[in-house]
Amino acid sequence: MIDEELQDWIDKSLNETATDEESSALEKRLLHDSEARDYYLNATNLHAALRRRFSSSEEPSSTASIVPFANVARPRLRTGLAIAASVTLIAGLIALSLQSQKPSAVIAQVVGAYRDSGSAYTIGESVNSGRLAVSRGLVRLDFLNGALVTIEGPAELEVVNRKRVVLHHGVVTATIPGSAVGFVIDTVAAHVVDLGTSFGVSVSQDGFTDVCVFEGEVEVSDQTGANPQLLREGEAIRAREESDTIDSVAYETSRFENAWPVNFGVLQTTGSLRFVSPGPDFHPGNYEDNEHIIVFPERRSFNAEKSFRVDMMDPGEYAKSLYRDKPSLSADQRLTSYLLQLNAYPEGKNPNRRRSVRGQITFAKPIAGVITVDRLLKESEAIFGIPDAEYPSARTIEPRPDGDERPGFDSLILAADRRTLFVEFQENPGQIDQVRVLVEAE
Amino acid sequence: MIKNTADAEDVVQRASMTMWRCFDQYEPGTQFRNWAFQVAKNTALNHLTKMRRDRHVFGEKLVALLAERTEERAENLDARRRALDYCVEKLPSTDHEMVSACYSEGATIRSFAEEAGETANKIYKRLNRVRRQLQKCIERQIGTEEVFG
Repeated sequence: MIDEELQDWIDKSLNETATDEESSALEKRLLHDSEARDYYLNATNLHAALRRRFSSSEEPSSTASIVPFANVARPRLRTGLAIAASVTLIAGLIALSLQSQKPSAVIAQVVGAYRDSGSAYTIGESVNSGRLAVSRGLVRLDFLNGALVTIEGPAELEVVNRKRVVLHHGVVTATIPGSAVGFVIDTVAAHVVDLGTSFGVSVSQDGFTDVCVFEGEVEVSDQTGANPQLLREGEAIRAREESDTIDSVAYETSRFENAWPVNFGVLQTTGSLRFVSPGPDFHPGNYEDNEHIIVFPERRSFNAEKSFRVDMMDPGEYAKSLYRDKPSLSADQRLTSYLLQLNAYPEGKNPNRRRSVRGQITFAKPIAGVITVDRLLKESEAIFGIPDAEYPSARTIEPRPDGDERPGFDSLILAADRRTLFVEFQENPGQIDQVRVLVEAE
Repeated sequence: MIKNTADAEDVVQRASMTMWRCFDQYEPGTQFRNWAFQVAKNTALNHLTKMRRDRHVFGEKLVALLAERTEERAENLDARRRALDYCVEKLPSTDHEMVSACYSEGATIRSFAEEAGETANKIYKRLNRVRRQLQKCIERQIGTEEVFG
């Protein structure tokens, strides 16, 4: 927090009226308060820039513009300015040394994504400021500050810097961790500031901007930054280029369904598998979707700290096994956890329906293990479950016993590359099928 | 020549000379920027050590922290400077006059106060207020900066 005391020390430091005691106090404060450091840097930079602006009448030479803060001196210089000068001096030196700019982001995931020229995007490419056209497919940019932005083509996105992009058209989804709060997505019709969240923005060819918040909050204002409003989880708006009003619209995530999972390390789902993100009052058993096998992300990049058993590790089809025969995952592996669930209608609502629901899911990283039996689900919930979520008690999928030819069993097949899982669940009214998939952390 | 401007220029000179002199220590394939930054920082820190003999300046730890943070924010500086130019023009004429007088070369706040028939204390307060206004204005500008401009 920026308080009067800090402000006073900084003012005195800039005015050269700070005593040695005050300078020491300011130093102590700055050492352990990063917000105060930013505030101080802004103040000294402003001070130096004012000095530079008014101290010379001539046009700044090219050297002056890359060493902007060297000219901060004042006559009869004393403590305060000595400090300001040394700091801003370093700023100048750093600006001087910034010969090549750090890339703003790297391409972390690619799903069949191509440029306008027809060349493919590849994982690991650096992205500097500039325009990025994606003719088709999905590209995920991981920004240096931790922001993840997935672009679904056809789209055109301009990277301004590591905290700001402009979406000209197309669909993006963003997942912003605490380290990148304040990340901005601008469009021709709206200015979207993230407040620590996961959200989607799309710009249609006719200039409509849609914003949809999956988790947390964002602030949306019109393109000039006026009329800001807070948009919360489960809310959506539409803004138009020619109008400065922002309209609330129904929460509709379908246009973001391809891009969004990529933010979570899920490259693709097909068939009846659907990726969703749990809300704050999430209870897996209460999630009402009976048409799909739902994929919930659980804990991300998490270390179990003790070894634990799983039902399946190797490629092939899942079969039942004895507890003592189950393989263990080692304690030191960083894993990301997903819960797959089919929740059939409660008994009585649709008593005679029996269906099989199937699909496949492809992860960005190899699957380390799959957990299916209730005992192991419970054990792993303590580690990988979403804190405070209520997990249902009895869940067990029924794989086909050896030699049984009858229809109607559940099936899990892990592909040879360990990244794709084929899932088939039988709808069984009143019961919940769940499996937990542990994937190597990105 | 003002003493500290000389100091500052001296350090910039020394840093670039060190860079040229030590250029053979730069390993191709590593980031030039990181290396240049290291040289600049070390030169500045050496300079600070010398200065510390006769007055209180911040310790190395804080300077390193501030330097690192400045590097992180380097991309931001241009936008801030543009915003400042705009914000200074928007100042009321009396404030503009005061800022320009207090920050002009060779001026002191005391001399300006005397000329204006005010106490130095009053001018300090006005300066503090205007700097805060400018800071707010810059933040607003950065927040709404026209990115195509």
